[in-house]
Amino acid sequence: MTNYVLQAEDVAIHYGGVKAVDGVALTLEKGQIRGLIGPNGAGKSTVIDAITGRRRLTRGKVTLLGEDVSALGVVERRMRGLSRSFQRTSIFGEMTVYRQVELASHKMGVADSAADAQAVLTELDLWQLKDSTAQDLGYGEQRRLDLALALVGRPTVLLLDEPMAGLSVKESLDLAQHLKKLTSTWDVSVLLVEHDMDVVFGISDVVTVFELGRVIASGVPADVRANPRVREAYLGSAA
Amino acid sequence: MLTINLFNGLVYGALLIVMCSGLALIYGLRRVVNFAHGSLYMLGAYLGYSISLHSNFWVALVAAPAIMALLGVLLDRYGFRLLQDRDPLTVVLVTFGLLLVIEDLVQSYWGKSNLSVPVPEALAFSINLLGTPVPAYRLSVIFIGAAVALGLSLWLRFSKVGLFVRAASTDPVTTSMQGVNTDLLSAGVVGLGTALAGLAGVVAAPFLSLSPAMSADVIIDSFVVVVIGGLGSLAGAFIAALVLGMVQAIGAVYLPDAAVLLPFVFMIAILIWKPSGFAGSRT
Amino acid sequence: MNFQKSLLSAVLALVLGGVLTMVVSSGTVLSLLTQAIIYAVFALGVGVLLKQNGMVSFGHALFFGGASYLVGIVLQLQLMSAELAILAALAVVTLAAFLIGLVIVRVPGVAFGMLTLAIGQMFFLTASRARGLTGGADGMNIDWPSRLFGFPLSQMLKPASMFLICWSTLVVVMFLLAWLMRTRFGGITEAVRDNEERARFIGITTLWPRAAVYALSALVTSVAGVLSALNTGFVSPESLHWSLSGVALMMVVVGGFKALWGPAAGAVVYFLFKDILGEHATHWMTIFGVALITVIVFSPTGVAGLFDRWVLGKKPSVKVGGH
Repeated sequence: MTNYVLQAEDVAIHYGGVKAVDGVALTLEKGQIRGLIGPNGAGKSTVIDAITGRRRLTRGKVTLLGEDVSALGVVERRMRGLSRSFQRTSIFGEMTVYRQVELASHKMGVADSAADAQAVLTELDLWQLKDSTAQDLGYGEQRRLDLALALVGRPTVLLLDEPMAGLSVKESLDLAQHLKKLTSTWDVSVLLVEHDMDVVFGISDVVTVFELGRVIASGVPADVRANPRVREAYLGSAA
Repeated sequence: MLTINLFNGLVYGALLIVMCSGLALIYGLRRVVNFAHGSLYMLGAYLGYSISLHSNFWVALVAAPAIMALLGVLLDRYGFRLLQDRDPLTVVLVTFGLLLVIEDLVQSYWGKSNLSVPVPEALAFSINLLGTPVPAYRLSVIFIGAAVALGLSLWLRFSKVGLFVRAASTDPVTTSMQGVNTDLLSAGVVGLGTALAGLAGVVAAPFLSLSPAMSADVIIDSFVVVVIGGLGSLAGAFIAALVLGMVQAIGAVYLPDAAVLLPFVFMIAILIWKPSGFAGSRT
Repeated sequence: MNFQKSLLSAVLALVLGGVLTMVVSSGTVLSLLTQAIIYAVFALGVGVLLKQNGMVSFGHALFFGGASYLVGIVLQLQLMSAELAILAALAVVTLAAFLIGLVIVRVPGVAFGMLTLAIGQMFFLTASRARGLTGGADGMNIDWPSRLFGFPLSQMLKPASMFLICWSTLVVVMFLLAWLMRTRFGGITEAVRDNEERARFIGITTLWPRAAVYALSALVTSVAGVLSALNTGFVSPESLHWSLSGVALMMVVVGGFKALWGPAAGAVVYFLFKDILGEHATHWMTIFGVALITVIVFSPTGVAGLFDRWVLGKKPSVKVGGH
């Protein structure tokens, strides 16, 4: 019996008559990268919202390191190591890069928050910008800052909502390499929502495919790629 | 004794109906909490006073609100419209600035001492109401309040423009996409709102004396009414206005201290538990 | 501004204040300046709330008049010494504000403003009616003793010393606030104001910081209330009225709230309009109202923002983030 770092069971989110997510189950093992793919509106971001506590569960259970966190709020889940980045960059525009990352680290209870902040910023090539005000950064740098805020305090699970959105090919590849490195050196497990197929299939250990709020396939990239239902729904027959 | 108090409560309530419907309309369409509304009421009253001096009350009753309507259109066109993309608090602060300007102008032009407007001769008599004599003028104020309430309700519900106003209050973007000229509509509604404030002022003048403090007296009550009634809801405002009028009138006699605080307690409770109407963002 | 710069500025400012009392001999002018400074401290409190929480209060007069009344009532009932009375008044107002804050900071947008308005007005009405305790609408005298903190009161009330007391208080309060904003508390509250959602996602429970800032802003304003009580020896319900809160808010807007010294600048501008312009133009309020509207529309960061842009060449900030 594998010990899952994160497990979602029969998760459903309904609101205003819409079944955004309906009966989703997924697991994440330690050091694993699971990619979440599917057409727009398939519910991928909503699943992340559900797991992180941003949205209330209509049904189902979320377990982190064996603990049921379904009733906990956003702050409590973060303190337990469940961290996320945002599809629409969400940073502290008026604070300097260093100050906000160090603050985030301090809030996570890291004893030497300065060192942690430095490590994360260096890892993401942001250290030279540490005294810049966040809103003065370029788009790609801001996205990395968004990620840095999620990375401090050595999270157990990292949920990334389209981290490559708007990045150039080179920036995406760099980020993908960083992520791969993080899982091995820092023991972070990653749930990754992305549209860039090359990236997803390139770095994920396992992939889950969504359609209309449900999981339609799950497995290693090669199997998922070959799955006819997936090809039909999403990849198109040319893939 | 009770009859006359209830009666006075109804009179004040009717006045609030006229005032607050203007406030509610402006909020509904422009999402602006108009802090200057009380001063517009005051301005209407003073304009009515001056016009009455040169001709008569009835002309003032029409002319003052008309002038206020024009002011409202200008306010919307050069104020609210230009600031509509800013933070809602910005616009509120601008209306506060406007309040200062109007108050100062009123004081400079008409002076600081109390002025009075005589009750128009046609209504200067008493009617016997349930055994108590009441001034006919005050009774007519109640009728005016009722007429405004009824008129607005019917207009919003059954006329084409009323439909546009309701639509624009709920979803301005879609409404303008449907081809409705929301800017023209807003100017008209704000003009109507300020006209109603002015009307309330003219109507109030014969039985409440004119003073530079009159705007402050009434603006808080207006906010209380509009919040308790539910922002943007005219029907709610009507009911809340009547209730507030009654509570104040009756309370003034029997429980003066509690009665004066009660409306605030309700307002605070509503703002804490259901601030959704006030969140300041268009959904 | 780092610690050394702040300290230097503070010392310089204190010295300037002293020099001013030696240069200006007119008691009237000094009294006027004293009034402006008291209002500056009042506005500073309102400004802190706007700067750190992004919230607009229309009811801060509650803390201003409230502190004055508390001192007056405590002295009238002879409950404790005047020095303790001052501390007690500040403590009570701050604590009350914190408790109120815990409830009301959750309320968003304009609703919060209306709430502060309603709460303030309730206290205004209560004070106007509680003749026995507060002297009702006529107000009450404050029975200061003949010595305060070891100094004879008669000396303290002289225009020059009163000015120095108030000026020093302003400088010290600004210094402490500047220091506070650089601490962890300052960082947390800034983050919450900048991007509340992300703040939660990095582990900040947002209620306490915001309530604490509200209480802090109340504390600053209550200091102004105590200074006013000392300066005039009198308090009336007018000190609790929403129009007074409104004037303070206008000072903050005109002066600009992003800079710590903005509200103080706004208070100065207000008094310049009132006393200097007011001499020559009876319509000074209209002009001030127009100035207010102009500032809001064209330079939302106020006079301080203009100064930063034109004199210091700082870039105007553009908002980005999760809202």
